[in-house]
Amino acid sequence: MAGKAGATPATYSPSPTTDKKKTSLIKEDWVRPDGRGFHQCRPAFFRTGAVNAASGSAYAEFGNTKVIVSVFGPRESKKAMLYSDVGRLNCNVSYTTFATPVRGQGSDHKDYSAMLDKALGGAIILESFPKTTVDVFALVLESGGSDLPVVISCASLALADAGIMMYDLVASVSVSCLSKNLVIDPISEEENCQDGSIMITCMPSRYEITQLTVTGEWSTPKINEGMQLCLDACAKLAKVMRSCLKEASDSQD
Amino acid sequence: MVGLSLGERHFIQGGIAQDLRCDGRKRLTYRPIYVETGVIPQAHGSARIRMGATEVIASVKAELGKPSLLQPDKGKVSIYIDCSSTAEPAFEGRGGDDLSAELSVALQRSLLGAKSGAGAGIDLSSLIVVEGKICWDLYIDGLVVSSDGNLLDALGAAIKAALSNTGIPRVQVAAGASGDEKPEVEISDDEFLQFDTSGVPVIVTLTKVGRHSIVDATSEEESQMSSAVSISVNRQGHICGITKRGSVGLDPSIVLDMISVAKHVSEQLINKLDSEIASAEAEDDS
Repeated sequence: MAGKAGATPATYSPSPTTDKKKTSLIKEDWVRPDGRGFHQCRPAFFRTGAVNAASGSAYAEFGNTKVIVSVFGPRESKKAMLYSDVGRLNCNVSYTTFATPVRGQGSDHKDYSAMLDKALGGAIILESFPKTTVDVFALVLESGGSDLPVVISCASLALADAGIMMYDLVASVSVSCLSKNLVIDPISEEENCQDGSIMITCMPSRYEITQLTVTGEWSTPKINEGMQLCLDACAKLAKVMRSCLKEASDSQD
Repeated sequence: MVGLSLGERHFIQGGIAQDLRCDGRKRLTYRPIYVETGVIPQAHGSARIRMGATEVIASVKAELGKPSLLQPDKGKVSIYIDCSSTAEPAFEGRGGDDLSAELSVALQRSLLGAKSGAGAGIDLSSLIVVEGKICWDLYIDGLVVSSDGNLLDALGAAIKAALSNTGIPRVQVAAGASGDEKPEVEISDDEFLQFDTSGVPVIVTLTKVGRHSIVDATSEEESQMSSAVSISVNRQGHICGITKRGSVGLDPSIVLDMISVAKHVSEQLINKLDSEIASAEAEDDS
């Protein structure tokens, strides 16, 4: 979970992980396509201040998943909106047309937008900006699995960068169930053949779950195990995010 | 939304804290459930569910289609929910869109299982007619006729009832079609196959008001909620999906408590629903 060390190649070469080989994941002793351990996350990389025009922004890279989030506001709510003595949060998640192996429509992702809204809503102190709206726009540049968790973590970092008051950072991690194994932070290949998944977004310092989704069939002990895995990983992820924020503020001084 | 005075709000919250709710129920008691099946003659299966003042209709239509290339051995199921503006003026125009989308996603998550098809309430491989060429596409449509809270549980129950009411026409595949040709099929008019719905889970929504959680909240109670967790549980007591509503945070131990409560409540709900469906079917046949 350490920050990605910066040995950048001089010229760009696409990362060689998108091979079309279809591995059978049902075998007893399979290894994950990218060679990670089952309970090992991808190296996380965060950088704040990616967009100049926004009040706050962040860029996140988890393996092949690359996301950029910009935050605008607090600014005046649209005229049509009624008076509200607490602030409003408006979230939008969209994919670029080249984010997925098959060229997509590049349109808004409604489900993810709603999920992002609910995941962040509990962490933001909406009372601190009455009558106004904060817009959160997330753009998935490359989809490499666990897109929504990366978007949520990155968005909370962008909110912090914008100086929006929050109770805590929001970190998010998902776990996939593949036959009997629980694998954390799945990549697209793993997500496509998963038997179930848990996604948790939480505020690690307050130890509170803000959003939770489970798909597939789970027994109670397995759910406990999966949730604990997610929560531990969220705590670690939050440390990486915090150090990124600290770095940014140190370099400003 | 529901407009409540301060007194009313305190009354609701106080009642829940003392395990006696406004309509006399305990925290973990459902309202009586009324099931009626076969309400839409145009559909292959349908049901109407009434829980208090909440009323929903679910219909199942089947069409022959082509399986997707990625999963040639599985049929397709899609679930759409429509919130009619007759239920609440706020649903008019595009007002109900957000809620419809939220309900549709939550139901898909609970009933269709994971990507690989594991844990699905509906066995997708039973929908296949000719592997890789022809399958049944099931279209499940839900309609909210009247809304008084707990829509998700009601819709889940209505879909379960509609599926057990569904008869899929028997299909005869003409022999001799070879290679890439699309085989000819003959759809029977009078022979119908029933679905195995024993694996379809029920959805139990636990709404947290104050420090306690309640099942089957009315819209007044829902307006006082801090957050709600919808858990779908099948007959084996396995969890088939969880969705959280409301953005207020929850302690992980509370979530685990809710899961065990939901498992307990679901047993009674499944039995109650099954007997209601059976008696509704019997009435429908006579």
